[in-house]
Amino acid sequence: MIDLDRLIEQANELAPLPASTVRLAEMVGSPDCHLDDVVELISFDQALTARLLRAANSATSGSAIRVGTVQEAVTRMGTAQVFALAMSSSARPFLRARVPAYNLGEGALWRHSVAAAVAAEIVPVFCQIVVPPETFTAALLHDVGKLVMGRFLNPEILGFIRRAQEIDHLDRLEAEALLLNVHHGELGGLIAQHWKLPPCVVLGITYHHNPDQGRHVICDLTCLSNQVAKFIEAGLDGRQFNFAIARETAQRLGLTPETLTDLGPFAVSRYSQVCRRYNAV
Amino acid sequence: MNPDDFDYIRNYVRDQSAIVLEPGKEYLVESRLQILARNQNLGSPEAIIKRLRSDSPNGLHRKVVDAMTTNETSFFRDLHPFEALRKTILPELMARRAPTRQLNFWCGAASTGQEPYSVLMLIAEHFPELLQWNITFIATDLCGDVLARARSGHFNQLEVNRGLPASLLVKYFVQHGAHWEFREDLRRRVEFREMNLAKDWSGLPPLDIVFLRNVLIYFDVEVKKTILAKTRKILRPDGYLLLGGAETTFNLDDAFARVSFDKTTCYRMKPA
Repeated sequence: MIDLDRLIEQANELAPLPASTVRLAEMVGSPDCHLDDVVELISFDQALTARLLRAANSATSGSAIRVGTVQEAVTRMGTAQVFALAMSSSARPFLRARVPAYNLGEGALWRHSVAAAVAAEIVPVFCQIVVPPETFTAALLHDVGKLVMGRFLNPEILGFIRRAQEIDHLDRLEAEALLLNVHHGELGGLIAQHWKLPPCVVLGITYHHNPDQGRHVICDLTCLSNQVAKFIEAGLDGRQFNFAIARETAQRLGLTPETLTDLGPFAVSRYSQVCRRYNAV
Repeated sequence: MNPDDFDYIRNYVRDQSAIVLEPGKEYLVESRLQILARNQNLGSPEAIIKRLRSDSPNGLHRKVVDAMTTNETSFFRDLHPFEALRKTILPELMARRAPTRQLNFWCGAASTGQEPYSVLMLIAEHFPELLQWNITFIATDLCGDVLARARSGHFNQLEVNRGLPASLLVKYFVQHGAHWEFREDLRRRVEFREMNLAKDWSGLPPLDIVFLRNVLIYFDVEVKKTILAKTRKILRPDGYLLLGGAETTFNLDDAFARVSFDKTTCYRMKPA
């Protein structure tokens, strides 16, 4: 129905992420991450340095004292925030695109991605597990596969997918897998490999709809982040949204119905705060 | 797709392969015929069906049946059956077969080869001495095209991403541009054959381990019973049958007993 070799080729033709972002992703995920290394890396990237200083000196940074060096900015914000800034800036040009095959207008995929990344930042408060630092990236990029997949989904294929969903009650991902022998999660994993992101980011993206198959906690966390992003979007639109999280996933993350009840509104509030602070969406 | 065309296709596919296409699967038939129509320059599913109806059985008839097969597979699919192989089944059978140093395996729905190659990697990793034994490894499938791919041992990046740990990828595959090729010395240990599970099973030796995973689900109850009865005849008394997670012998063939391992179930013949 679609040419898989061509699909893979297109995934591998996406422009690369900036080298500094890829290197930062490796550093932040490493137990040997040293502040000095992060500072040195950023210092060689003028654009990132400028963005970092702007963020560290913004009115919402919580400090009246201005910072003038990368070292001071990294110390103020912390490596996780610095990495989030770098990754978000790098991914934004890709994720702002329209993806009509998924009913995503310009900016919609970006907003969903930011919401998932915000969710990834707050889930450690609610989950009874150690959250890998790569979770933010996996959450931010979890739907990146839609960018390439969307180019191949013509009205005829979309019609078959819709019928598979209606008749056999499959979700979108299952319908894609049945009819196309590939789904947007797998394609996103392929793009993450092409971007040389850490293997657990690849796993989180690939299995964000079916975390059991990924056999790594980042898959559960990315799945949860996606669900929380949908909750945030529904909340902002005034719609109801019920979390669809498999029992096994909830158990592995130590989530209860009560924690999910608390997590949703907290995520909406945090998302609004991030949007104001970084003018993110 | 009109009801008459759908009935024609589902009856033809059932006659030829025993695969059941339930009412409601029109979209699936249509989508798969669409691909075939494009590949064969025949324009539309309707044009294919017209040709099938008017021509005597030929290559196109075969391609239609092949197109209706589902070839979903992955390396180490579901993982737990492979854990059972590693922890219990192979050590036990190796001890029993030590005098003859012979083990016979059969993958009955081998698709593009991921299952037999997963078993071979498992053997090479954990039981390398077994590679010195007299091993017969037969892998069969209904569809000739997927078997040709299995024989070639070539996989794209999406396929190697499915279930294959990076450490095994670099150890057992050679990269050729965008594709990965399974190591030839292991590949040639598998004998791939076309075989219709609903028809003749001649040519299979007595078997120690039979994989019939995720294939019974496509058949009706009578065909499932026939397949299990045939399996009984070729499975050695102490051999193992492995089915898919959604499949069972329960209510189909009482001669099999469930054997539960950690997170998976296998089947053996009940003692006579």
